[in-house]
Amino acid sequence: MYAPSRTSASSSSSYLPMMARQSTRGSQDGSRSTRTSKRYSVTALYLSMNANQRDLEIEDDLARAQKALRDLKAKISMQSKKNFVLEKDVRYLDSRIALLVQNRMALEERNEVADHLDDTADLSEGTFPNDEKTQKYGNLLFLLQSEPRHIAHLCRLVTLAEIDQLLQTVMFTIYGNQYESREEHLLLTMFQSVLTYQFDHTPDYSSLLRANTPVSRMMTTYTRRGPGQSYLKTVLADRINSLIELRDLDLEINPLKVYESMVTAIEASGKTLPPNLPRSVTAEQAAAHPQVQELIGPRVRMLTDFANGFIDTIINGLEETPYGIRWICKQIRSLTRRKYPDASEQMICTLIGGFFFLRFINPAIVTPRSYMLIEDIPAEHPKRTLTYIAKMLQNLANKPSYAKEPFMVKLQPFIQSNKERINKFMMELCEVQDFYETLEMDNYVALSKKDLELSISLNEVYAMHALLDAHNTELAKDESSHLSQLLQELGPAPPQVPRKENRAINLPLYSRWESALDDLTAALDITQEEVYFMEAKSAFVMILRSLPPNSVLARRPLRLDRVAEAAATTKNDSVMVRKGIRAMELLSQLQEMGMIHRSDHYSALRDEIEQELAHLGSLKEKVIAETLKLEEVYRTIREHNSYLVTQLETYKSYLHNVRGQSEGTTKRLQNAKVLGPYKYTHAQLVKEGVIINSNIPENRQQNIYFNITSPTPGTFIIAIGYKGRNRGIIEIDLKLDDLLEMQRQGQEDLTVEYVEFNVSKLLNILNKRSVGHSSPQASSSVTAASSSLSSSVATPAGRHQERRPSLLGSSFSKSEYTVINIGSPEMPRLITCVKSSQGFDWNQEMFLPSYIDYDSSDLERKADPVEDIVLTEEEAAAMLPQ
Amino acid sequence: MSRSTQQREYHIVVLGSGGVGKSCLTAQFVQNVWIERYDPTIEDSYRKLIEVDGRQVIMEILDTAGTEQFTAMRELYMKSGQGFLLVFSITSLSSLHELTDLRDQLLNLKDSTHVPLVLVGNKSDLEDDRAVSRARAFATSQAWGNVPYYETSARRRQNVTEVFVDVCRQIMEGEREGARVRAAEAYDRGYRRRRRGEEGEEGSTWARRRRRQRRGGTRCSIL
Repeated sequence: MYAPSRTSASSSSSYLPMMARQSTRGSQDGSRSTRTSKRYSVTALYLSMNANQRDLEIEDDLARAQKALRDLKAKISMQSKKNFVLEKDVRYLDSRIALLVQNRMALEERNEVADHLDDTADLSEGTFPNDEKTQKYGNLLFLLQSEPRHIAHLCRLVTLAEIDQLLQTVMFTIYGNQYESREEHLLLTMFQSVLTYQFDHTPDYSSLLRANTPVSRMMTTYTRRGPGQSYLKTVLADRINSLIELRDLDLEINPLKVYESMVTAIEASGKTLPPNLPRSVTAEQAAAHPQVQELIGPRVRMLTDFANGFIDTIINGLEETPYGIRWICKQIRSLTRRKYPDASEQMICTLIGGFFFLRFINPAIVTPRSYMLIEDIPAEHPKRTLTYIAKMLQNLANKPSYAKEPFMVKLQPFIQSNKERINKFMMELCEVQDFYETLEMDNYVALSKKDLELSISLNEVYAMHALLDAHNTELAKDESSHLSQLLQELGPAPPQVPRKENRAINLPLYSRWESALDDLTAALDITQEEVYFMEAKSAFVMILRSLPPNSVLARRPLRLDRVAEAAATTKNDSVMVRKGIRAMELLSQLQEMGMIHRSDHYSALRDEIEQELAHLGSLKEKVIAETLKLEEVYRTIREHNSYLVTQLETYKSYLHNVRGQSEGTTKRLQNAKVLGPYKYTHAQLVKEGVIINSNIPENRQQNIYFNITSPTPGTFIIAIGYKGRNRGIIEIDLKLDDLLEMQRQGQEDLTVEYVEFNVSKLLNILNKRSVGHSSPQASSSVTAASSSLSSSVATPAGRHQERRPSLLGSSFSKSEYTVINIGSPEMPRLITCVKSSQGFDWNQEMFLPSYIDYDSSDLERKADPVEDIVLTEEEAAAMLPQ
Repeated sequence: MSRSTQQREYHIVVLGSGGVGKSCLTAQFVQNVWIERYDPTIEDSYRKLIEVDGRQVIMEILDTAGTEQFTAMRELYMKSGQGFLLVFSITSLSSLHELTDLRDQLLNLKDSTHVPLVLVGNKSDLEDDRAVSRARAFATSQAWGNVPYYETSARRRQNVTEVFVDVCRQIMEGEREGARVRAAEAYDRGYRRRRRGEEGEEGSTWARRRRRQRRGGTRCSIL
């Protein structure tokens, strides 16, 4: 959870929406005088300081709405961090499970994967082993947070493999509060630093921002934060969804593909191809074909309409575009101008498009599902249409050279008609205000707060420490630097702790080099008068907000002295009384200083208060609107979360399963002893209820016996033998897991060849054998096997069920098998096996059991067929004597 | 495929990190043009008729997005492709590193260690900016099971046709191999001695191979 202090730290953010709005206003209008700008930041500063005084906080609708919004934002920040972590886990397991399925994974790695899964639950709270550590790490993280250049530097040093861990900590922890301006602004400062480096070190313009680098990874991660997600949802989701509903609308305009589907359609209808439609043609021939042209014409028009629609919403969504994303666009513009002073506007737009469209908008259009914009995978045609739209948007941003796909030239009119407005839009994207001034102030505010905390996990701290350590020589060249000092004191980074020992800690942040500022006025270069003025304004605003809306006192023009007096004499409300008295004091103080005058009813102060109140009135609506929007975002990321959790659960159960087998493998390696065979007669098994049905003629049953062998734990071979014959008639491979699976699914009988087994009863026998594996005693009592049969039945089957929940739910896979006897039981049989599975295909051995490959005695004299066994060199080397 | 009676059609996918020159390579091969512009690809497809070892083949070439934000589409490309060009730029070591993950993903999807592919180090004309030594790239190609390694220059059209032809040839070889295996299988069916996993490494390798064949092959076995 976020520490309470963090919420209090972000109290100032209740006023931040207006700052953010302010800052999206054109920076070039230049209308703001320094005086107003200073006033502005002082207001915010004052209010943010005041927010610490909880007891004086007022409770009106606005305050409640703001509080709800704040809580929501904290939840979103936290949830998106969780999702990021989960996504990483799922990504990791995606790649590993596939290996596992194919048995290509070393045992250690399996255990590592298992560890990865073992505890995905929430971390429990904890603290550092000792206070000294807490202090040092608190100082280190404060330094990292408030001086983004260190992390920026680190981002350039780490490899792509390390960057995910780093970005997780940076974007979701150190600057994790996505809606708090200070953290957001520090993060953006870090971006700027990394971007600048990138621009300075890319040799030529055409490869700028092209490669996948830490910067591009940062951009991806950044666009995945709450604001970016909610933008995509509001701006793109409707368009995409309405397009996806048109499942059968084919807008392919590649002449070859159009031609091909035309030919296929004719062939499918059973007609023969007319002579003017040869089956295979070149691109030029296809493009020249009149029927193809006839089809493509209207498709180009429709594609143009759709793409225009997308552009309309994107352009109209200018104000919705998250500040940070616009600010990055702005940085790209100014960096380009700085490095290439002659850069044309088109060239700048190309680069902005290389971020805004290529890395933000278009991935969401092409794969909307992975951005949670739609629920199902789109059908083939809409998917293709979406790809075309993304290509068209990208072409708009980058002057298309039709050298690539010549047929795209048909869309040139679209490019022509939109070029201008899209370039204008991209330039407007850049028109956001810088935040350095507010950032500076935010930093002071942060310092003045005594309870700045960071919620971070032990492993995150250690991982960050380890990274800093690893790149120590580069990062802390100057040995007297603060970072270098801290790293020296901390010593080598501790190793990562196991997941279950990992703790979430609330790390108090502080700086040993900067004492908390008491004298803010000096630090911020503002006068005492201004501070009083702000305090007075704030006090009056609070009093007025607490009044009933139709109160006489609230009438305009405000009579400040009366308001203060009324507040000071309120009954049963000490807070109000204190506010009133303070307001009266401030009024007279300000008058003495000559800031305001009783004669004009304190108009200088009054006007600002009235403005503020008017602004707050509309603020409430905006807060509510924003809350609604964010609730939607929150819902989306929660849905995504549950999807990820399900995915992980699936992997988890699968893995447990595999682990059971892998444990068997280790045992086998240590002790390759094969257990069995245990011999049962047909009659015994019938008596125990293991065999519930038998096709074996009664007169032969007495000669039938069953040998159960367990070559490895969890694997069993049941050989059906006939007295007097050396070899068994049939061998059946069984995997314990498969049987368990059947049992879990309530599938009670297993028909193999002549006999139908009861799964649970069979399991009981096998289980007995499997127990025997782990206990030497039992394995020594081999001869007693058949006599101990009855006791083994008593083994509770429940033990297996708790062992693992299964991946192979009915939705996952379905297996059907049929055994048809042709002629007499001893003749060949037709066995069909129908399997359909999603995800993992396994259990093959189960339903195509060993007898498929088994030599029947008739063929005993036949030489083994020669098989091609292709060996890799390593395999061959391993087989040769060393 | 009905077309198989006539010309062979092969699906080739060009993969690699952003800005390594996948599109330049492809456009140079298909269209004989050099693209100077900054023009990131989302997904482009081409067709080219070419003669390989005296046989007419049609190459369906899919040029993909290198931009990492589009990786969600990769899996689909990998599934649909038969042969792959894994392209990096000799001026960027990380672009070579990225290919390792890509190859792992590819092999997993194909469930095979023998996927027709070529390792391509592009931008060989930028020798001065070289960040990946030949030896290094070659070592990678060796580690991948001796896959062919080419250094290309899309700008100068060096080795461009060669890489596409090489991968095409690999697909064709694979087909011949497949035909042989199928024939052998038909002969062997029912006679094979059963082998168990517990026979050790060799046995498990074998089982893996068998599973692969079975998955790709028929779902109905006749005893």
